Amino acid sequence: MNAAGIKVEQVSKRFSHRVKGEVYAARDVSLDVAPGEFVTLLGPSGCGKTTTLRMIAGFETPDEGQIAIGGEDVTGMPVERRNIGFVFQNYALFPHLPVFENVAYGLRVRALAGAELERQVAQVLGLVGLAGYERQFPNQLSGGEQQRVALARAIVIRPRVLLFDEPLSNLDARLRVQMRSEIRDLQKRLQITTVYVTHDQEEAMAVSDRIAVMNRGSIVQLGSAQDLYRRPVDAFVAQFIGRVNLVPGVVRAEAGDWLEVEALGQCLRVPRQQTRLQPGAAVKLVLRPESLRLIAGSGATVLSQTFLGEKTEYQVSCGGEALQVASHGGEALPAGTHVGLQFPEDGVALLP
Amino acid sequence: MAMLLARAFVSDGGVSFEGVSAVLAQPNHLRALRNSLLLATVVGIAGTALGFLFAFAAARCGLRPGAVAALDAVTLLPLISPPFTTAISIIFSFGPRGLITYELLGIKGVTVYGLTSTAFSEVLTFFPIAYLALRPMLSAIDPNIEGMARSLGASRWRVFRTVTLPLCIPGLANSFLLLFAASLADFATPLILAGNAFPVLPTEAYLQITGMFDLRGGAALSFVLLVPALAVYLLQRWWVGRGYYVTISGKSSAQTPFDSVAPGARLALLACCAAVTVLIAYLYLLLLYGSLVVALGANHAWTLVHYKVIFTEGMKAIRDTLIIAAIAMPLGGLFGILVGYLVARKSFFGRRTMETVSMLNFALPGTIVGIAYLIAFNDPPVMLTGTALVIIACYVFRYGATGIRTTMALLEQVDRGLEEASRGLGASSATTFRRVTLPLILPAFFAGLGVVFIRSMTAISATIFLISVSWTLITVKILDNMTELSLGPAAAFSVFVVVVVYAVIALVGLALRLLRAPGAAPEASLLGGG
Repeated sequence: MNAAGIKVEQVSKRFSHRVKGEVYAARDVSLDVAPGEFVTLLGPSGCGKTTTLRMIAGFETPDEGQIAIGGEDVTGMPVERRNIGFVFQNYALFPHLPVFENVAYGLRVRALAGAELERQVAQVLGLVGLAGYERQFPNQLSGGEQQRVALARAIVIRPRVLLFDEPLSNLDARLRVQMRSEIRDLQKRLQITTVYVTHDQEEAMAVSDRIAVMNRGSIVQLGSAQDLYRRPVDAFVAQFIGRVNLVPGVVRAEAGDWLEVEALGQCLRVPRQQTRLQPGAAVKLVLRPESLRLIAGSGATVLSQTFLGEKTEYQVSCGGEALQVASHGGEALPAGTHVGLQFPEDGVALLP
Repeated sequence: MAMLLARAFVSDGGVSFEGVSAVLAQPNHLRALRNSLLLATVVGIAGTALGFLFAFAAARCGLRPGAVAALDAVTLLPLISPPFTTAISIIFSFGPRGLITYELLGIKGVTVYGLTSTAFSEVLTFFPIAYLALRPMLSAIDPNIEGMARSLGASRWRVFRTVTLPLCIPGLANSFLLLFAASLADFATPLILAGNAFPVLPTEAYLQITGMFDLRGGAALSFVLLVPALAVYLLQRWWVGRGYYVTISGKSSAQTPFDSVAPGARLALLACCAAVTVLIAYLYLLLLYGSLVVALGANHAWTLVHYKVIFTEGMKAIRDTLIIAAIAMPLGGLFGILVGYLVARKSFFGRRTMETVSMLNFALPGTIVGIAYLIAFNDPPVMLTGTALVIIACYVFRYGATGIRTTMALLEQVDRGLEEASRGLGASSATTFRRVTLPLILPAFFAGLGVVFIRSMTAISATIFLISVSWTLITVKILDNMTELSLGPAAAFSVFVVVVVYAVIALVGLALRLLRAPGAAPEASLLGGG
């Protein structure tokens, strides 16, 4: 398929709100998606991710900024001329048409008919595992099957880009995991540029090449799942991606690539990263629960523990802070046990 | 009461079976049947088209709330007027001395009477039913479905043709059937506008009974009318029961609709709506004007004499109508919620029958119901014909049905768990009804009140057979005036009815808004057809 890149340049969209007056649904959003890349817009509800996606699709017109697909400016182009595939959260299948006609709709619009149309529909239905469903109507299908029809309908027209708006949120948890890997496989096989909107960070991490975390209408951070997890740029990203302990501390000294940070009544060595922090600066340490280890010793006390099978989660009090610690294997430690806490040297990030 | 009703229909049927063949043998009546069906088909198609136009404009053109409210107000007018109002105005405009035909165009000796004007008047009177049925349907179509079709490359027109319209077909068919039934049952418009050249069944039945005192012949004629009416009613029930494609999912309706109408098409659409709106406004203003001048078309001097006439000679009709409406209103409201509650929540022997009979009473053409009441209460043991009681009973049972439907619809939305929770907390069945259920179905009570009142003020087809010397009605008075060709008082009466009904509707609407539970039935149910 003819993969095309997407370039979103400083796009803004305002709405007038009855109480709050004019609000930005999206503000100065810029995003570059390479041909064949899978980028996810991730954020809480109302962060502007769906608005951004709908502007790429052409369902909304930006108030400012430009959008280009495959190097062609499409900002003012109506949606039906953009050649995109879109998958809605509620699938938006045509309820009055059987599966075959749902999938064939876009091809018929392109004046395709006869054997070639049937061949292409059959091929794409086979691709999503729905061969033999041609005569069924949408209301006779399960949620997962409807999802596949929506997907087939979107890709059969060989769109330049594929856009997903929370496509899995109406499915149950098990199916969600299965469908997301199917979507990712299909996208890799077809090499089709994809923008995917979700509020589920695990889903985003599972499918994406890169993730754009959005908050209040803007992209806060754009990077791979590892980047976001290991080096979040602010507390919002740190808390949105995975679970985290944010611990206040003060920079005491610098030594080459390392900073000495005083926190939790101890002195910790932390990689300097790109931040320009001087001694005396107040910082927050990003401590992931699974990067902390409980060891024999003292300085910390177990407040409570929850056994979850593959891991045990502890609430630990240390230096006046309550910390979450996840521990794999080992004896379960009852509440009240005095323990020591080991910090990994490279598993700590700093936020100003 | 249901028993008596059933008896009424049985006796009606019993009489008719002997007479039916005789009726059908008369070519005149056969023609009337054919005319009735033709008229109903024309009105059904044209009214549905017009209703769809309005509904589409309201749901898709991105109008401001104010403009939509204006559309609503215009469509409300014909629904709450006595059935002749447009007919009177049409005679004012296009009659032998009509404003347009005579004064403006100078055509003499023109006849308005016939199919065209009857159909025209009925379309204007009944298209709001189609509008009310189609608008929620259009708004309920998930905008994403249309957006999806656009993203697959379809133009707006193609989306409309291949997605929007097919999704509306069940609604269009339903609305056609509603209008077909309404036109079939309509008696007032053809009586005034159809003339001798175009006899239809309801008027024939009326003339048979009141003109020739041939009760049996009238009953037989209305039995002939019953067959297509019942067929349409059953067809409509079946169609609605099959379910629509459109499902109302709360989630997507929050989405902003797409610009599904091209600017040019939007303009044309709005122009059409504006034209019809202006036409309706013109007809009603003409009615007002006609009531305020000595004789429209001949002497255009301002006068209040027509109002003097209706408040002196017509005072009895006004008083009678208001008394009957005032008594029927609370009874009808209570009847609606009680039957609705019983049918929806309690299981007992004959539950389905009760529902069907009360709905049938509502769905059948008024002429038939009127004749049925006439026959049922004409002889001992229950001799009520000629009293106010029979008119009130007719109104209560016929128009209370709206309250039944609204109550049932409301109760469907109310989780049974609510009542169970109340019982679980130790409240008795009666306390539960009083403290939990009743407040939730109060809107249905007010909707029922409103409908019974409107219909009591405006109905004619059923009650024309039930009036007497001691009890008469405004609508019947209007009809008398029309046949005597004293159009001034007729217009004045109509204006009076419209004003009173508007005032009462506004009051009931206010009560509804104040007492409305969240998630209650939409206010459109206030009008509920018929």
